[in-house]
Amino acid sequence: MKYNSRYIDLIFQKASSDLKAESRRGTLGLLWWILEPVLYVGVFYIIFSLIFKRGDEAQISSLLTALIVWKWFDSSVRQSSMSIVNNTGLIRQIHIPKVILPFMVVTTSAMKFIIIFMVLIVFLISTNGAPTAFWISIPLVMFVQLVVCLAVGCLLAALVPFLPDIRMIIDNGMTLLFFLSGIFFNINNVSSDLKFYLYLNPMVGLIESYRLVLIENKWPDFNMLFIIFIASSFVLFVAQKILFKYDREYMKVL
Amino acid sequence: MFKKKLAIQLKKVAVSYKVRASFFKTSKYWALNDVTFDVCHGETLGVVGRNGVGKSTLLRLMAGIISPDKGEVINNGVSVSLLSLQVGFIQHLTGRENVVLSGMMLGLSKLKMKSLMNDIEAYADIGAFFNQPVRGYSSGMRARLGFSVAYYAEPDVLLIDEVLGVGDADFKVKSSEALKKRIVSDETVIIVSHNVNTLRELCDRVVWIENGAVVMEGDASFVLDAYSQSNKDRRCNKKQII
Repeated sequence: MKYNSRYIDLIFQKASSDLKAESRRGTLGLLWWILEPVLYVGVFYIIFSLIFKRGDEAQISSLLTALIVWKWFDSSVRQSSMSIVNNTGLIRQIHIPKVILPFMVVTTSAMKFIIIFMVLIVFLISTNGAPTAFWISIPLVMFVQLVVCLAVGCLLAALVPFLPDIRMIIDNGMTLLFFLSGIFFNINNVSSDLKFYLYLNPMVGLIESYRLVLIENKWPDFNMLFIIFIASSFVLFVAQKILFKYDREYMKVL
Repeated sequence: MFKKKLAIQLKKVAVSYKVRASFFKTSKYWALNDVTFDVCHGETLGVVGRNGVGKSTLLRLMAGIISPDKGEVINNGVSVSLLSLQVGFIQHLTGRENVVLSGMMLGLSKLKMKSLMNDIEAYADIGAFFNQPVRGYSSGMRARLGFSVAYYAEPDVLLIDEVLGVGDADFKVKSSEALKKRIVSDETVIIVSHNVNTLRELCDRVVWIENGAVVMEGDASFVLDAYSQSNKDRRCNKKQII
C-alpha cells in the first residue's frame, strides 16, 4: 500500500510537471492549452460551416463536442502507446513499474482535456442556453472515458516495445476510428446491421452520450456506458497483468 | 570472525538479450552466463572486468531494472539504486522543480524532497541558476545538480558505474570526496570499474568477471593482482602474435 501511494504521487507530479514544462515552451505560455484545441476545432469549423455550408448552430455544437472528446482519446492512446519506448533513458537508470508510464500520459491529457472542456461548456451555454439537470451525468461519462483511455493506452504500451511494427497500424487505425466514431454523422442514421460493428468502438457510444447530455439535454444510455465500462475494465486488467509480468523484460528489448 | 548480514544474493544468474539476425530469426546473446556471489551489509564490493563482459548488465540486475533469464537474484529487503544523474529531468523546468521530480523518481516522497531542498541547493552550489530552467545550464551545472539529488537519495545499497567524480574540476574533487567518505563508512556500495587503482583504494572485496562468468572472487588486492597479471599476459601474447 505504501508503494501504491508513492506511485500515485509520482504520476501526478510527473503529469503536472509536464504541463508546466509545456506551458513554458512557447512565448504564449498557458494560453496554448486553450489556443491549441481552439485551432484544432477551428480547422473543422472552417471546413464544415464556411466551405461546405453544412449544418446549423446545433450541428456545429455537436461537432465541436465530439471533436474535443475525441482529442482526449486520440492523444491518450497515441502517446501512451509510445510511453515505454519514449522513456528508454529513464528505465535504463531506475526501476519504475512500467504500468505507471501510460498512467502518467493519460493523466496529463486528462488535465488538458478538463481545461478545454470548460471552454466548451462556456461555448455551449452561450449558444444553446443554460445547463440542465441532465448535465450532472457528465462526470460519469468522463469517468468511463478515462477507463477506456487507460485500457487502450496500457494495452498498446505493453505491446509496442515487443512489436514495434504495430506503431504504423496504430497511427492509421486511429485515423480510421476518427472517421468511424460518429463525429461527422449521427450513429442513429446508420443501417442497423452496420450499427452493431460501429458500436464495437467504445468512442461511438461515448460521443453519443456526451451529445445526448450536452446538446439534446437527455440522460445518457446508462446500459451502454455500463457495458463499455465493464469491457474496458477487463482490457485494463489484462493490460496491467502483461505490464507487471514483463516489467523487468522491457529493458532488454529496447 | 562475525557473520555478516546478506543484502543481495546472486545465484547462478544468466541474462540474455535478443539480437535480430534476419526477418524471422532472433538469436540470443548471453551477456551473463553463470554468476554467483553475495553482497553483505556494510561492505564495499568491487566488480572488475574488461569492456563488454557484462558489468553494466550486472548492475542493472542488482538494481532490479532487469530480471535474470536463469537463476535468481535475492534481495533481502534493501533498496538498491544506481548512482544515476539527472533521472527524469525536464529541460523546461527549474532546478528546484527538477529536484522534486527526480527525487520522487528515485523513490523519495515529495515531503522528504521539500525538506532536503535547502541541503541540496547548498550542495549543488549553482547560485541563482537553481531557480532557472535546466535547459540554460552548462553541462557542469547539470552534473552538479544531478549529483546532489542522487547523493541525497541515500539508498541502502548504492551502485556506482565507473565514474566517481562529476562536473567541473572543483566539483569533481568535491563529489568524489563525498562518495569516498560514504564508501569508507558503513554504507553498502558496489563499484563497477576497469580501473584497478580506484578499486584497490576503495574496495574490501572484488569480483572479477570475464565472458559473463565469475573468474575469481575474494580479497581486493589478491583478485586485482591476478587481474592485472592476466592483462599483462594478454598484452604479451598479442605482441608475440604480431
